[in-house]
Amino acid sequence: MKKYRVLLSSLLLSMTSLYAISTGTYDDPLYGTAMLNAIPKYFAFGEVFTYLQREWFWKGFLIALFLVPVAGSIHYMIIGPKVFSHDGKKIFAFGLFMRIMHNLAALSFLVLVPTGFVMAFGDFFGGGTFVRVCKNLHGIATPVFAITVLPMIIAWIRDMIFNMDDVKWMMIVGGYLSKEKKPIPAGKFNAGQKAWFWIAMPGGILMILTGALMFFLNINLSPVATLFGVSQIDLLRISAIIHNVLGMVVATFFMVHVYMAAIAIKGAIHSMITGYKEEEEVAILHSSWYRKLKEEGKV
Amino acid sequence: MENINSRLKFYCDADRCIECFACVVACQNAHELPVGIARRKVVTLNDGVEGKETSISIACMHCSDAPCSQVCPVDCFYIREDGIVLHDKEKCIGCGYCLYACPFGAPQFPKDGVFGAKGAMDKCTMCAGGPLETNSEIERHTYGQNRISEGKVPVCAAMCSTNALMIGTSEKVSELYRTRVLARGESKEANNSYLWNVAYNKQSRKGLTQ
Repeated sequence: MKKYRVLLSSLLLSMTSLYAISTGTYDDPLYGTAMLNAIPKYFAFGEVFTYLQREWFWKGFLIALFLVPVAGSIHYMIIGPKVFSHDGKKIFAFGLFMRIMHNLAALSFLVLVPTGFVMAFGDFFGGGTFVRVCKNLHGIATPVFAITVLPMIIAWIRDMIFNMDDVKWMMIVGGYLSKEKKPIPAGKFNAGQKAWFWIAMPGGILMILTGALMFFLNINLSPVATLFGVSQIDLLRISAIIHNVLGMVVATFFMVHVYMAAIAIKGAIHSMITGYKEEEEVAILHSSWYRKLKEEGKV
Repeated sequence: MENINSRLKFYCDADRCIECFACVVACQNAHELPVGIARRKVVTLNDGVEGKETSISIACMHCSDAPCSQVCPVDCFYIREDGIVLHDKEKCIGCGYCLYACPFGAPQFPKDGVFGAKGAMDKCTMCAGGPLETNSEIERHTYGQNRISEGKVPVCAAMCSTNALMIGTSEKVSELYRTRVLARGESKEANNSYLWNVAYNKQSRKGLTQ
């Protein structure tokens, strides 16, 4: 009796494996019939991706790589950095938690942006171990950035809404084209910082999502694919296009942000380390916020 | 590449493919591929719909304008004189771009990196190995058998029980396929093969039973 039970159960087990083979392996959501059915639609995203990756993405990244360093050094040589007194009173701007979040994001960006460039110019580095390690670092740094996104959005979104100050700020490009120290119209964050926020936060989320799709490429992504009404392979192609184009924009703005904080405004980076900004810096570069703080008697 | 018709090509005759998966099994076994890597796949469209069901064996098509080689960020692809598209696994970083560019889903990605990151891409080599020393142990281990260098037909086509899967120079393959299509009784001038008519032509089958 026992023999028959063993025989029967092993037969049943082999049946389930047959089922697994017939449905799992041979109708894969990526490689199965969906891929064959996607062939007639290849021209839509497949051809576009191939064309962009062959002709345009590397040119875009080349521009993104040199635009800010070149423009920054010209600005530094002609106009020079803004220097504010570091001996005066200080104004508390960023709490400890937000500094940690911001600096975790900064750390992850210091990995994400260079490794992204290494991958974009992988043939320059000859491929192999170095580029592969960069690819893996690019993936590992992503969760670090991901945990900082929501805290930063929640903490700062109210200060990041555009207002009339920002239009005036844009008209004079934040006063960075002159050496004069006259008050610039800006709240706690100026229009440049606001633009960076709106690119890095919603754009960052999009970068995480498209990057995750490409990381998990051959697992079953059909819930996401059906949500957008495309096949899984087209979903991956769209992700790659978005990730590359947005990557150029984010990398450019990141370099502007670093140039501003570390070079163009001497010592501005300390506000993200200690949490305090120089009073003179606030009075000039964030005059509206300074006025508000004065009215509230906080200065 | 002076003559585009001298390039080696696969062609799967969908009228003959009986969905036996022999090519898939032969390929996986011959190259000792890890689980989850299918260099060659058999896909059935309209499964179970009478008169519409079609099966096709599909792998790398070794394209003349190989889009994979156009998008590779580390330029790991190279195209042999005979048209076989190969790649260098030591250069490959496993980014997946070749898969996005490929219309046929040929590139496969093993998960062997950190946290399930993708390892170097694997695809059909038309049983021609890779850039390493021909027929060396390391080439066999990395890319699978090199049957082309031994003058053998790729294992999938050699195994095909109905000869649905053809391989050869595009001239030869198209000539072979043209002969078959004509022999299927779609032209009265063609020399119809008796066996073919037994299998596909209703009248002959009736004749046989009489």
